[in-house]
Amino acid sequence: MKFDKSLKKKLLKKLNSYINEEAEQLQHEDEGLSKVLKKLKKKEKHLKKLVAAERDVDEREMLEQELKIVHSQRKKGIELLSRVRKEDKS
Amino acid sequence: MGNTLRKVILPSILLILAYGFWISPDFKEISAGVAIFLFGMLALEEGFKAFTGGVLEKILKKTTNRLWKSVSFGVVSTTIMQSSSLVSVITISFLGAGLIGLSQGIGIIFGANLGTTTGAWLVAGFGLKVKISAYAMPMLVFGVIMIFQKSRHLKGLGYILAGLGFLFLGIHHMKEGFETFKSAIDLAEYAVAGYPGLFLFTLIGIFATVVMQSSHATLVLIITALAAQQISYENALALAIGANVGTTITAILGALSSNEVGKRLAGAHLIFNVTTGLIAIVFIHQLLVAVDVISAYVGIGETDYTLKLALFHTLFNLIGIAVMIPFTSHLVRFLERLIKSEPDHYAQPKYLNESALEFGDAGLEALRMETARVYAKATDIIAKGLSLEKEEIFSGTKLKKVIQVRGKAVQYDIDDVYEHEIKSLCSAILDYTNKLSSAEPGIARKVSRIRVANQSILTALKDVKHLQKNMLQYIESDNPDISSEYNRLRQRIAKVMRRLEKIRRKGSGSTSILSLDALKLTLEKNMALLHERMNALIRDGNISADMAISLMNDSNYTYSIINNLIRINRNYLKSEEGAETEAEHMIALNSDEIDSVLTGNDDNAEKR
Repeated sequence: MKFDKSLKKKLLKKLNSYINEEAEQLQHEDEGLSKVLKKLKKKEKHLKKLVAAERDVDEREMLEQELKIVHSQRKKGIELLSRVRKEDKS
Repeated sequence: MGNTLRKVILPSILLILAYGFWISPDFKEISAGVAIFLFGMLALEEGFKAFTGGVLEKILKKTTNRLWKSVSFGVVSTTIMQSSSLVSVITISFLGAGLIGLSQGIGIIFGANLGTTTGAWLVAGFGLKVKISAYAMPMLVFGVIMIFQKSRHLKGLGYILAGLGFLFLGIHHMKEGFETFKSAIDLAEYAVAGYPGLFLFTLIGIFATVVMQSSHATLVLIITALAAQQISYENALALAIGANVGTTITAILGALSSNEVGKRLAGAHLIFNVTTGLIAIVFIHQLLVAVDVISAYVGIGETDYTLKLALFHTLFNLIGIAVMIPFTSHLVRFLERLIKSEPDHYAQPKYLNESALEFGDAGLEALRMETARVYAKATDIIAKGLSLEKEEIFSGTKLKKVIQVRGKAVQYDIDDVYEHEIKSLCSAILDYTNKLSSAEPGIARKVSRIRVANQSILTALKDVKHLQKNMLQYIESDNPDISSEYNRLRQRIAKVMRRLEKIRRKGSGSTSILSLDALKLTLEKNMALLHERMNALIRDGNISADMAISLMNDSNYTYSIINNLIRINRNYLKSEEGAETEAEHMIALNSDEIDSVLTGNDDNAEKR
């Protein structure tokens, strides 16, 4: 099967746009995850301060619980971000 | 009263018919012709119904934005379908759906009145001159074969063919009946001349149409009787006027069970046809001259009374339209004043407009706003279902205190409120999501989330209804253990509602979707605590087995309510945003991850 020049160009163009589309999607995810992770980091710091300042035992336990959740979320977020970046590089 | 009248009228008609069949076989043939004709019309309607829901609606939408267009639509559609009643029914359904206004609806009805006169032309010009039954038989055979097919459209086509076949067969039998009838009795002897005859035969025409529920059938009967010279030309004209007025009775009967829009349309139908009838009676002589002049001009024979009748029928309806069209807006205002809208007992969507559908984002925003509205209503119902007030739940007052103050069970009919406040809105939202689903994948995903949120609202409300049943009984119980457990369930739901409200108020700047994970953790933890406590209560004999079963079921309902409240917020919070919302959804912990956080926790969740 012979490929003429214009067909080759067309196919390459299609392939390029396909690759770019995927890259664009990854970039989009990267941006979103980074922003949320920054917010979570801030929230974790804030919660840590609140826990340290809280005298009421029950209240402190609740805050600690929330802190654990935020911590788990951050851990998950970081894992997701590194996976996205890995995919982007490959 | 109406029912009693119906109970008397129906057997009387059947008896009269049976007596008529017994004394005259010709009468039997004519009646069978009418019956077959009416059956044909039913089949025709059935057939056209298969084609509605698509093409017809599309045409209707595009062709009714001007009065002349809607009149033309009425003429054309009724000519094709040969049934003004089907066109009226479709018009009423479109009016009800708000797709067309009353003036457009009236335009279609005006047009349908003119369109229905084409039936007279077909029968007078074609049906009586050709051996019509020859066409009927193959149509019936092909039609019935097609009716047995699986495809909806083939089936519809089958019904149309069979319907036309029955129409032709009916006309054939009426014609045959009248021709032989003529040799036995000459009805023409009973012809009454002058205005008394005009009024008498108009009344007979009205009566015949009310009985047969079809002006089309009456008119065919008149034409065949006229062709067989069983009635005089003048009396046939009066019968045609009567048929035109009588047909509105069908619409009025149909509109009795309809909403005010349908009633207004039936009112317009009645006013139009009565006015047209009056004009025809008052100017009968002038009309007859006009018919003669036009007949001579278009080449209709002087004694061809059947075609002249068709012409008369068309002419007086045309005059009716010409007279009534300038008053359409007055008619609309008059009907709106006369038939007032009942106070709206059912909530109507506020944001879901059709134009927003053209733009995915606008449509999505409309959906979010409407869902927020339903959620606000739903939280009010949940609060009242728990014998609490939403404002108190969302206030800064300690919830324990709120529950204490509201210690008395308050009866609240959740079903009734659901029916009037929620159901119509949720179905409108779901309908809207279906229309938006075809948009780009990103929007489709968000739309699907909103759909899930709405489903969760419905589930939460259903659960509150179940919970309410025992809760109303137990919060005031003499047994302090069961009453305090039920108050705890109330408090738990109220606490989540308050928390969710706080998260919602924080707005888009925060990681609101992720904040819901902490709530989920608390939910799981509290559930485990409740089970422990419940076991202790049963073991120590503090609550009866019945109470324990109720509590077990209701704690599950509570779990489901809270879970659904969280799910609602998770699915519709910030659904308008892009990358960040998606990232939050990706990071949000699933139940296994929540469990693993939980196992590392000690238990003190309920103390807060």
